[in-house]
Amino acid sequence: MTSPSRRPPRGNGAASLARLAWRNLWRQRRRTLLLVVVVAYATLAIVFFWGFTDGFLDSIMNAQGRLVAAPVLVTTEHYHGDPDPANALNDPPAVERLALEDPRVHGAAPRIDFGALLRSPYTMEGVLARGVDPTREGQVSDLPASISEGRMLAGPGEIVLGRGVAQRLDARLGERVAIDVSAMAGPQALGLRLVGLIDAGTPAVDDSTALIDLADARTLTGVTGATGVALDVPLGQETAAAQAINARLNGTVRAYPVSELLGALQRGLAAERIQMIPMGLLFSLFAAVAVTTTVVVSVLERMREFGVIVSLGLDQARLAWLVTFESVFSTALGWLAGLVLGYGLLWVLNLTNALGAFVTGFYGDLLQGLALTDQISAGMRPEYALFASITIALAALFSALAPARRVRRLNPAAAMRTE
Amino acid sequence: MTRSLLRTLLAAALLAAAATGLAQSEPAAGSSGSLTAQDVLDRVVENLRGVSQWATLELTVQRPDRTTDYEMQIVTDGDKRSLARVTAPPREAGQAFLSIDTNLLIYNPRLGRSLRLPPSGRSNAFLGSDLSYDDLAGEEYKDQYDATISAQDAEAITLDLTPHPEAPTPYGKLEFRVRPGSYVPLSLTFFDQRGNAVKRMTFSDFVEVRGKTVPERFEVVDLLKDGYRTVASWTGVDYDTPVPDRCFTEAALERGCR
Repeated sequence: MTSPSRRPPRGNGAASLARLAWRNLWRQRRRTLLLVVVVAYATLAIVFFWGFTDGFLDSIMNAQGRLVAAPVLVTTEHYHGDPDPANALNDPPAVERLALEDPRVHGAAPRIDFGALLRSPYTMEGVLARGVDPTREGQVSDLPASISEGRMLAGPGEIVLGRGVAQRLDARLGERVAIDVSAMAGPQALGLRLVGLIDAGTPAVDDSTALIDLADARTLTGVTGATGVALDVPLGQETAAAQAINARLNGTVRAYPVSELLGALQRGLAAERIQMIPMGLLFSLFAAVAVTTTVVVSVLERMREFGVIVSLGLDQARLAWLVTFESVFSTALGWLAGLVLGYGLLWVLNLTNALGAFVTGFYGDLLQGLALTDQISAGMRPEYALFASITIALAALFSALAPARRVRRLNPAAAMRTE
Repeated sequence: MTRSLLRTLLAAALLAAAATGLAQSEPAAGSSGSLTAQDVLDRVVENLRGVSQWATLELTVQRPDRTTDYEMQIVTDGDKRSLARVTAPPREAGQAFLSIDTNLLIYNPRLGRSLRLPPSGRSNAFLGSDLSYDDLAGEEYKDQYDATISAQDAEAITLDLTPHPEAPTPYGKLEFRVRPGSYVPLSLTFFDQRGNAVKRMTFSDFVEVRGKTVPERFEVVDLLKDGYRTVASWTGVDYDTPVPDRCFTEAALERGCR
């Protein structure tokens, strides 16, 4: 008797073993189904894990871009380092024209951001006010759509406040609020009528937002241009769009994607992503162990059958490869089923915004400051399938090392006596 | 609050109405005899246009759980410039305030430097009182008020000052009561935009100074908070000693003037 070969079978031999392995799967449907379910569950968990992680972080980025900063903001380098209105853009229309040449930019709107003091008859509040073009701000920001009471600005002489700000001032719709600003030409003040209240669903916005007309902001600050031009760019394309725009900008004007506008928050989010990697690998490892243990149990249950097979002429080495093929096929079936279920789950979560209710209900006030609303999406990136396939690779590896090794050392006579 | 600072506050509001001519130009129902609201305002402002002086101001800030007394040395040119230095209590002593037109500078001895008060700080309470720095420096509300005589009798003429929609004030109305004949201010009440009175200044202890009647005491009451009150009284007033221009400089702000 020749010694069993450790090399993989080739050509017709491999094809025959593969066909035999595939048939064996359906001969033992219950055992196959168990392994498929285990792998599918592991795959679904991995896909959901990365989808939730990416979706949560993307939701924070989107909220910051659409409610606090901008998807992309074009401003001077001096202003980016020192947000003083004295460092404002001199020619916003030229910047807008250049930016709109990029196909990823769907809209542009000038802004003036400045510190101000709001006064009511009862108290006063310091805010970071924003002068906007009411006709275009909705293209680059979700704030106008977040007005729950009243309306958006229609022109000078009006102000829109976050509901938290209005409550602290005890200012009601239709009442006048005084605004004081230290302008480049000296202190300035205006009386503005409150026309709208913002309810974005996040204290970071509702407790700090004050929108006024761009003309009033210019009167108050002395800025003739704008402190920045906000650009409407689809989520996920901000960095690429900013890079393309920067390639055409001259002088000290630059485009900054939202990731560069978050300051310390961006570093925290980046660290969060890195921390998720070992957790994701751990997920895959546990899944692979689950698959391998299932395969081991399956092999142990079939020792008698294997003894018969070997006694009929199939050598141990080929039998080991047969076991390996069976585990790879069943794992692949489970992987495919898991992908369908995993991506399907993410799609349903996006459709129903179930993650939003879960996250806000579970974390509550812990997420204040992130501008995170109750609209939280799940990521649906194709690389999740690649991450889940690590499970298959590890499973195949473990099944080759453990169960296949057991089969390779099989004693047919002893195996046929196994109960 | 010095007389000049007080005059600045009132005059700014009143002159606004006078300057616009929005007060009735002809005698109308509710006018003081042949005087219009504009006439009344002009006379009040003229009466408040004081002379230079050196004085001691005693300021009492009352709260429900405590009362704090301050003493300040005041010097003013009687028009748009004044210098005030806190002399008591010891923990506040040395602080000084220089007001020139609408500019207000503050000196803090702990910092050893002077600071120009930005608009963000001007609405802060002066020494924790019911007065704001804006009250002290006076806000310019020219062209932003409509004035009418809403009532009059033997004791008082009542003027209603209604801000224009764009006026940089959160108040809905100012009610100014004036004594007929002498046109001295009796009270100034601030109303919110819902018709509620929120703060009231009351003037008393009137004295005759070179043909003018001026108050030597005023009281500010926060009508929304029980027990919140600020009382200011002038003592030891010297009208005869001239006030040099050097008293209204940053050097004088830091080192004093005598």
